[in-house]
Order: sequence, then structure tokens, then C-alpha cells
Amino acid sequence: MRDARLEIRIGGTGGQGLILCAKMLADALCTTGSRVAQSQTYEPTSRGGYCNSDLVISEREVDFPLATALDCLVLLDRMALKPSLPLLKPGGLVIADTRLCPELPAGHYRLHHLPLSRRAIELGSERVANIVALGALAALAGICERKALEHAVRAETPKSFLDINLDALAAGYRLGEQATPTAALIFG
Amino acid sequence: MNAVEQALSPKAALRLISGNHACALAAVAAGCRFFAGYPITPSSEVAERLSQLLPEVDGVFVQMEDEIASIAAVIGASMGGVKALTATSGPGFSLKQENIGYAAGAEIPCVIVNVMRGGPSTGMPTRPAQGDIMQSRWGSHGDYPIIVLAPASVREIYTETLRAFDLAETCRTPVVLLYDQVIAQLTETVDLADAKDLRNAERKWASGPRETYQPYATGEDGIPAMSRPGAGYRVHTTGLNHAENGFPTQNPEAVARNLGRLLTKLDRHREAIDSWQAIGCADAEVVIVAIGISARAATRALDLARARGVRLGLFRPVTLWPFPETALREATKNARAVLVPEMNAGQLSLEVERILGGKRVDAIHRYNGEPITPAEIAERAEALAKEAR
Repeated sequence: MRDARLEIRIGGTGGQGLILCAKMLADALCTTGSRVAQSQTYEPTSRGGYCNSDLVISEREVDFPLATALDCLVLLDRMALKPSLPLLKPGGLVIADTRLCPELPAGHYRLHHLPLSRRAIELGSERVANIVALGALAALAGICERKALEHAVRAETPKSFLDINLDALAAGYRLGEQATPTAALIFG
Repeated sequence: MNAVEQALSPKAALRLISGNHACALAAVAAGCRFFAGYPITPSSEVAERLSQLLPEVDGVFVQMEDEIASIAAVIGASMGGVKALTATSGPGFSLKQENIGYAAGAEIPCVIVNVMRGGPSTGMPTRPAQGDIMQSRWGSHGDYPIIVLAPASVREIYTETLRAFDLAETCRTPVVLLYDQVIAQLTETVDLADAKDLRNAERKWASGPRETYQPYATGEDGIPAMSRPGAGYRVHTTGLNHAENGFPTQNPEAVARNLGRLLTKLDRHREAIDSWQAIGCADAEVVIVAIGISARAATRALDLARARGVRLGLFRPVTLWPFPETALREATKNARAVLVPEMNAGQLSLEVERILGGKRVDAIHRYNGEPITPAEIAERAEALAKEAR
């Protein structure tokens, strides 16, 4: 292997803003000097259907830009389980939404079952579940500086959504920081 | 500072950008001032970005009624003296074929982006494929020359878009930029600081006495000088076979002379046209030949195989057509076998077999919308290396 790479997938359904939040994370990583490749898989339907956005992060130029062995997997819908779990590295980090992805099969991974979409609804819009997830991922995976991520969220957010997006990011960080692995779901 | 200058400022040199947006940015940087297109997944972001960029540089963006009208408008704009671009995918590329032949025959410079998605017909709009390799060369009827460039990264989409305009202008030919959905919609960290220094070539314009000007007469370079509209030269342009004066002819000698010149004109400029990348080929047991996302997978496969003691090489044609056959022969001369991974039912492998006649050529053919992985390529290449030992 020429150099270390870190692979992240944010999976769910079309319309959840998976690509947007992956782009925000990619932006934040780019400004802090990492090389990033962000790709996407989506269906021709604009809402619904399996969708994911993948990030490959490296200190040097990324050779193969698609996911081959995921270090982190965020599940915002059960639909993303089947195509994504086989790609997860043994012992990999999984962050799953309690409401939209309530059940996960046994496997050798570190699971954090978090109320991402519920927290978004409490904040006023389920549409910001992607940003809550982004905050939780950043807190749990420790992959980028919070300041850089906040800057990226500000840069990519329209004015009318700025306050709620920043609240969602903070809520996600809190969820991540307070989380303890759900021991019962760790197998291997 | 407008959006284009800002996008190209040194401060923004290292940045995240998608393949299609890199194409749009490079088009403007290359001097393209006209785009006509009809949106189609997964090429639409080229049009979307140009609809913002072109008005800022006094360019023209037109969303046409369909793909046929789009390429027709692009040819018209180019005849009007403007560098012009269209972008499409899948069925849209099929629709453009007749007019691509017109542009080749009448020698009208233009650039056509074709983002490859699953086919045939409407196929799989959001999934990648590499099924237009042959169509990009042979899609229009009759014999004609064409240049096809096949970038494999976001940065290379930028640099090859610049080169596409240079080649279109200097060789007076349509140039196809051919890349797959993965690279088109991939967002990568790219450094464009040194990419801006690439040359920005101009078309050969008619000069000299108006009375003796012949629109398709050429010198040694085989490239006729084009008349700038309003410059006072008498011009006739047609899709019919024509003589040096531009008017239709079926005189066998005139057709053989003029069509013969057209069909060999790119041969005289291969030094500027040919481009390829060869990695580790000199001592490779197996050389992989691939483009686009399959070439990116192969790059990683080289490392995977090396870790297990198998020496692989990669030959990547950046100019896909005319195929850099001399370079391929050189790169594979020491290899025992060649492997061609491609996202189609067998296209690039046909050309490689043709060029390497006699050498063992195996292939991985994939057409289910899933990119070929580095592990698959490494595994097959290692098995091939062992068989051929």
C-alpha cells in the first residue's frame, strides 16, 4: 500500500442531503490540507431510492477514488444497510439512525445507534438530519477540526437555513460526544 | 474580479471541484464563448456551470430544444469564429452523430463532451459505463477523422478540456472529451496552479489575396485556413464531398484528393495529438490497458500486486483516438500478456488485440453499472502473470 487511506460512507435515500453533507465534510478536510475524493451513487428518482456519498481521504493524491473498505459508515435509512455493510472493515465505526434504521444485523463493528433524525425534528426540520449526522460523525471519528467543519457548513448553507444548520451541527457533536457504544450490538 | 477569474486565482489553486465543473471552468479558460446543449444526466453539471460562467465573460449560453439542434448550433457558432462546446451523454451522443460527421467533413472545430453512462438506449442514467469507446470513433457514417480524449481524473478533465480546444482549433476537427459518470461527478482535491500555463491555440485564419483564396486548399500541414466571417473571402461550406473551392463534386479525382487529404490530416499532427501514461511497463509481467475509472482502479491494482510480488504495468491512453499504437507496442514489448479491464462488453480490448496482434490479451468486461475494483484487476492480472510464466 502506497499510503494510508480513510474511507467514509454516508448512506440513506435520495433527498436526505447525503451528497451535500459529504461535500461539507470534504470541504472542511480540504481546507485542513487533506486530499479528498467524494463520489456518489444515486437513482434516477429525485426523492427516495438508495443513495450514498463516499469520501476517500488521504495525505497524498487518491489513486482509486471509490470506497473499497469502509472505516466509517453513517446509515440514515435501512435501505443503505445491504449494499454498505459488506464493504465495512472489521471493527469499523457505524453510526445508525434509531428511527430510520432501527435494526442492524450482527457483525464485527462499533455501533452507535443515535437519534439523528429525531433530534432534527426537535430542532424544527427533519431535513437537517444530515447535518446532525455530520456533527456526530465528526465527533466520533475525530477526522476534522470543528472550526473547519463549521466554516464549511456556513459556506454551503443558504441564509434561511444557516441558524438551524449550525444548531443541527452542534446537536450532532453533542450526540457524538455523549455516545457510548451499544455493547449489546457488538459482535465478533 | 468575476467568477471565472476568482475560480482561477492562485489562492483557489488547491480546491475541491467536480469533474463536470472542471470541464466547464477549463472551457472558459480555453476561450470557449459559446455553449449550446440539452441537459442530460450525468453531463448536466457542465451546462449548469457554464450557464453561470459564460454570461460573465460575454459568452453565449443556449439551452436548445434537443441534442441535434445543440450540435448544429455549436457548428454554426464555430463557423462564426467562436470556440464552441456542447455536452451530452448516452442517447444524446447518438443523436449528435450525424452532425459530428458534418463537422469532421466540413472541418469545423468544436468540442463535444460525452459522459458515458449505462447503455444501450436510455440504459442506466446515473450509473457509469465505458460503452461509447467505439461510438466516439466510428459513430457517424462514412470515413472521417476525429480526436477523442479520455481523461481519468478531475484534474485531467481540466487539462484535457484545454487541450481539446487547442486540438480542435489547430487541426480543424471535432474533438470528443470522453469520460465516465464516476469521473464526471467525482469531486476531488485538485491543484490547478500549473494547469493555467497550457497554451491557448488559435485557429489558422485566412490571409493573403481574396481572389485566389480556396477554402479547402492546404499546404504541407494538411489544415485549410478558415475565413473569418466578414473578412471578405468567398466561402462555401457543405456536407457534400467538395473540392478545394468548397463546392460539391463527385469528380473521382477531386474526391480522392480532398477526402484523402482529410483522412490523413491528423497523421501529420500526431506529435501534438498523441498522449498517454505508462507506469512500470518496462519490467512488468502483465501490462494493464485501461481508461477512466477502470484506469484509476488499475493504478491501485499495481500496488496490490506488487505487495504480493507480481510486477504489473499500466498503459493509459489519454488520447484514445487516434490510438497511440506505437506507444502501446513499446510499453508492452517486454510483457508476457496484457489485461484490458473495461466497463462494456469488449471494445478497447478489440483495438488492443488489433495493435498487438499475436500477444495474449485478456479482458475484464463489466456492464452492470458497477465499477471494476482494484482487487478484481489485481487478482486477474496476477493469475494471468502466473499462467504466462
